Amino acid sequence: MKTLTITSYLMFIISIAGIVYAMVANPPAWIVYAIAILFIPLSILSFGLMIMAQSKKEEEDERAREPFIGY
Amino acid sequence: MNLMLNILLNVTIAFLLGSLLFGLQRKVMARIQMRPGPPIIQHLLHTLKFYIKESTFPKTAAMPFYIAIASILCVIWVSAVIVGPVAQGSLLLIFAIYALHKIVEHNAGSSSGSPYGKLSCVRAVFSAAAEVPLFAVLIIIYLKTGTMVLSDITAYQAQNGALLFTIPLAALMFFVLILSKAPYSPFAITKGKDIISGYETEHFGLLRGYLMISESIAWYMLLWIFLTVFLGPLSLLGYLVGMVIISVIVAFINATTPMLNPNHSIMVQVTLVFIGIVGSIILLML
Repeated sequence: MKTLTITSYLMFIISIAGIVYAMVANPPAWIVYAIAILFIPLSILSFGLMIMAQSKKEEEDERAREPFIGY
Repeated sequence: MNLMLNILLNVTIAFLLGSLLFGLQRKVMARIQMRPGPPIIQHLLHTLKFYIKESTFPKTAAMPFYIAIASILCVIWVSAVIVGPVAQGSLLLIFAIYALHKIVEHNAGSSSGSPYGKLSCVRAVFSAAAEVPLFAVLIIIYLKTGTMVLSDITAYQAQNGALLFTIPLAALMFFVLILSKAPYSPFAITKGKDIISGYETEHFGLLRGYLMISESIAWYMLLWIFLTVFLGPLSLLGYLVGMVIISVIVAFINATTPMLNPNHSIMVQVTLVFIGIVGSIILLML
């Protein structure tokens, strides 16, 4: 879970930095399109990973133990 | 306006309006079925609720594909917003985006490891056989206008009148395509309640919210394309009224029609493809 949190923070910072760069620096249109196509979805996903509710310490075992996993 | 700001604004409008139109659909469906129904903002609230919920990832999921496929859905519909309202680009790109949407439905179902997802995955291939030809309606538009570029099609309609009246069967085909993408639609076989939530069954919590954001953008975009291609240059109010009217018509059809079984759904769509293409060509020759 810690790896996921760190990765999502990194992804969010990179994607927001890319979006701000495209907004401020006014690069050629195709670069703006590429940044928008990659970084808007990435920022939505990473922001969600950052703010989603986390399980409490005592509930972690309960979350990891699945009653049925064999499809 | 700054290009990036323009894209962000359009994506936000697409998400918010798409969500509200989905909410409106549920409201209209409920009223037809003599129920009070949820408030119009319910779909938006559901999306936000899922987005902040605690998420775990099933052990059977094919990681990281299970997460990546949800991102791909968002990538393709953000691309559609760029090709459509922002750049007024080619309809061929929209066609490619729609084809990718079918691939996402297929792979989201198979990536989770759930049997319901797998069934939906098979149905996605099945329905692609009928829905992708429906999108081939673009050929009729090309034959009529001599162009695939959205801005040129709009200019053509400004001079010659709306395409809805000159190639009505092509508009009908596109409408059936829109109908197939609506929740509770008679053609929504990939998300039928007999397979729980289809390809989205095991995408819950954050990923479900993420998928719902993309679906709202997709709904807005499909309506936007229909209005732009068949009704020509419209004002903002024109788009808004058009989208509300189409959503209400779709809701009426969904509320009064049961979901077809996969075979019947495909056969109805294929029949409409045949009638649409042959009929439109005959109309063009007259």
